Amino acid sequence: MSNEPEAVIQIRNLSKIYRDFWGRKKVQALKSLSLDIHKGEVFGLLGPNGSGKTTTMKLLLGLLFATEGEIKILGKPASDVSKNERIGYLPEESYLYRFLNAEETLDFYGRLFDIPADERRKRTDDLIKMVDLDHARRRQLKEYSKGMTRRIGLAQALINNPDLVLLDEPTSGLDPLGTRDMKDLIRKLRDEGKTVVMCSHLLADVQDICDRIAILHSGELKVLGSVEELLKKENSTQILTSQLSPEAINDVKAALEKHNVTIESIDHPTSSLEDLFHRTVERSIERPGERFVPSAEPKNEPAEETADAESK
Amino acid sequence: MTIQPADFDLTAGLLQWGKAMLSVISIFLGVALVAAVAASGKKGLFIVLDGLTRTVRDFVSISPRRVFAISRLTFKEAVRRKALLVFVVFAVLFMFASWFLTGESHRPGAQMKVYVTFVLTAVSWLVLPVILLLSCWGLPEDIRLRSLHTVVTKPVRRNEVVLGRILGFATVGTLILAVMSVTGFIWVQRQVSDETDLTCRVPVYGELSFLDRLGAPAEKGYNVGDIIETRSFIEGGTNCTAIWKFPITSQPDELRLESRFEAFRTWKGDMEQTLRVQFSLVNGATGLKVPLPNTVNVAEFSTNEIIVNKTLTYKDNNTGKDVTVDVYKDLTADGILQIHVQCLDRNQYVGMSPGDFFIRLADRSFATGYFKAVVGIWLLIMLVVMFSVTASCFVKGPVASLLVFSLILIGQFFHPFMQKILNENPEEKLKGGGTFESVYRLVRHMNETTPLPEGFLTNTIQTVDGALVNCLWLVQHIIPDLSTFKMAPYVASGFDIPWNGSMLPAIVITLGYVIPCLLIGYFSLSLRELEAK
Repeated sequence: MSNEPEAVIQIRNLSKIYRDFWGRKKVQALKSLSLDIHKGEVFGLLGPNGSGKTTTMKLLLGLLFATEGEIKILGKPASDVSKNERIGYLPEESYLYRFLNAEETLDFYGRLFDIPADERRKRTDDLIKMVDLDHARRRQLKEYSKGMTRRIGLAQALINNPDLVLLDEPTSGLDPLGTRDMKDLIRKLRDEGKTVVMCSHLLADVQDICDRIAILHSGELKVLGSVEELLKKENSTQILTSQLSPEAINDVKAALEKHNVTIESIDHPTSSLEDLFHRTVERSIERPGERFVPSAEPKNEPAEETADAESK
Repeated sequence: MTIQPADFDLTAGLLQWGKAMLSVISIFLGVALVAAVAASGKKGLFIVLDGLTRTVRDFVSISPRRVFAISRLTFKEAVRRKALLVFVVFAVLFMFASWFLTGESHRPGAQMKVYVTFVLTAVSWLVLPVILLLSCWGLPEDIRLRSLHTVVTKPVRRNEVVLGRILGFATVGTLILAVMSVTGFIWVQRQVSDETDLTCRVPVYGELSFLDRLGAPAEKGYNVGDIIETRSFIEGGTNCTAIWKFPITSQPDELRLESRFEAFRTWKGDMEQTLRVQFSLVNGATGLKVPLPNTVNVAEFSTNEIIVNKTLTYKDNNTGKDVTVDVYKDLTADGILQIHVQCLDRNQYVGMSPGDFFIRLADRSFATGYFKAVVGIWLLIMLVVMFSVTASCFVKGPVASLLVFSLILIGQFFHPFMQKILNENPEEKLKGGGTFESVYRLVRHMNETTPLPEGFLTNTIQTVDGALVNCLWLVQHIIPDLSTFKMAPYVASGFDIPWNGSMLPAIVITLGYVIPCLLIGYFSLSLRELEAK
């Protein structure tokens, strides 16, 4: 029995040429792309603008027709509509019907999946709560902010409890809190055994959540592999300890020099800006009114008192 | 009243439809096969087969729930795009309409005609443009805004999109039409002072033939230069006779005959006296002829009504005795009752066309006729919705609107003109040739009967004209004759709308376009890349 993981998406020699009205070649967006995406992984499609990642996504969904090559999604060709029963798709922009409200939107897409009424109502309720739009469920989407629209977009992508989720720029337009929620959700989907394919420009997000990535450039596949493997520096070693005293650092240096090791730097590690942001927001929620007072500013009254005065 | 539609031949219509569909599908398949084999070699055959299989599968597995969801979405979209504002225009029209229409109120029949025509025309002219624009712009806007991407990336088939859109817009049209027509009906009833004017007569028309002044059969009567070409005249005081053959479909106790003849005088005559006409009932098999007891004075611009009892008594000229006959037993032969009409005034003429004389069966309620006309408008709306949605599958909103508007224009007004050009009857065929031949004749100052010089130029001109005529033939057969849907004149003139002559063809024409529109829409959406740059 083979140990190869089950391929949810199989792409073989996929090429796409955009032509003009007269059939003349305008641009070749994709050149002989071949890759497999496995069940239960979060896969990132990366690349600069015009690299072919969105084209790949649209070919997968049947919105474009391949010039050459073959695509199999969940064992079916891309042109087979029935494959969509197990796919959820979050488009890049807000393409939803702006005159519907959140409830109507999810109900509409639920009907397209032939979901029975009771089940549809329940899923609609759950998803609206999950994406934190309970307070705006009766507002038309045209009144939504970009972040809210992304969230309802995500909810509609999950209405059918899909096995494969295709996310086009899932974190674009979201604030850091929304981004964290989105990333948590993607991890949760992976934990449930679902396959997630996303394309994004936000490399930090991709690094955070993707198991494997493919980097495209000018329609060609340049890099394919697991994030961990691709980012690992084989010729360096990192030791992370609790804070060391200067004496301890000197001892470590001496010990390492005995083994002819070149020490490149000894420094305090930094956390990410995202972590700092989340910590700040959480602290603000826990301690409302507390604010940062720069040391240059004259301290007329304590911060706690200001907060008390404001809350009054 | 000269409304006498020709009966619709359903079997011939269905056969024609079947032949047209088969031909179009065969051509389409042939072209697809050739193109696929040319592009992909032997693999092309399998591509076409795969496409066919997918098409069949898509049509077999249409989901009513998905279609309903899309039609519901379409309805909501139209409502939220303020389509129902058309009611405001309608309300304003009706608030001020009576200011402009009361001028006719001195003639009750004309009053009803004006009101009914106004209501039914206003309803169609308001609903049709709204529906045309809505359904032409819906799908292209969906594609432009990419909302359709979120639909087709679900397990939704392209034919479900087309069908859902058609049903959605049809529902909007039906709702608007229902509200407007009911309001219009109440308005007409309130406006017409005497409700007895609101009639819905059910006519039975007969075949008309003539005898000339010597009593010999003739195809037509005399031509006195009347503007209506179908109207022939009989000469008074001679054997000249108009013979109507009516099918007897029911046997009421009283036979109501209604006529509206024209008079043509060669001399002034008695100014106090209109022309006199004698009606006689004749058994076509035995030749028994029973003149009706009273002559009828032909009053112009009004209707003559004669009531004939089931039993008639007449004086037998041979025996001099009174004889009683049963109209249905003694005067009807093979289900046909002949009625002969003769003018009694010497050198005066009475004119008639086939629809000017009929047996009037029991009247129907005005509401019946009115709402049948509304059904006619509804069928037209359905046709417009189907055309618009289909067009919007392959062109953008403005082009689709223009295309459907042209189709309506051609369908409504140009069929008689096309028929005239395409007429192959040597007597009625237009003289002077086709487009290029006409231009050639104009330039060379040749009249329309002068033979063209033989040679290459003439052959070329006639070949090109022949091709153009074939194109016109195609247009004539593809674009429906929308005058069939125009039922308001019947109701406005106080007639019921005939099933076989008007309702049935309108229904059949509408149904006939359902499958072609669905197929064209389905293939247009399936074969195009929605994301194409």
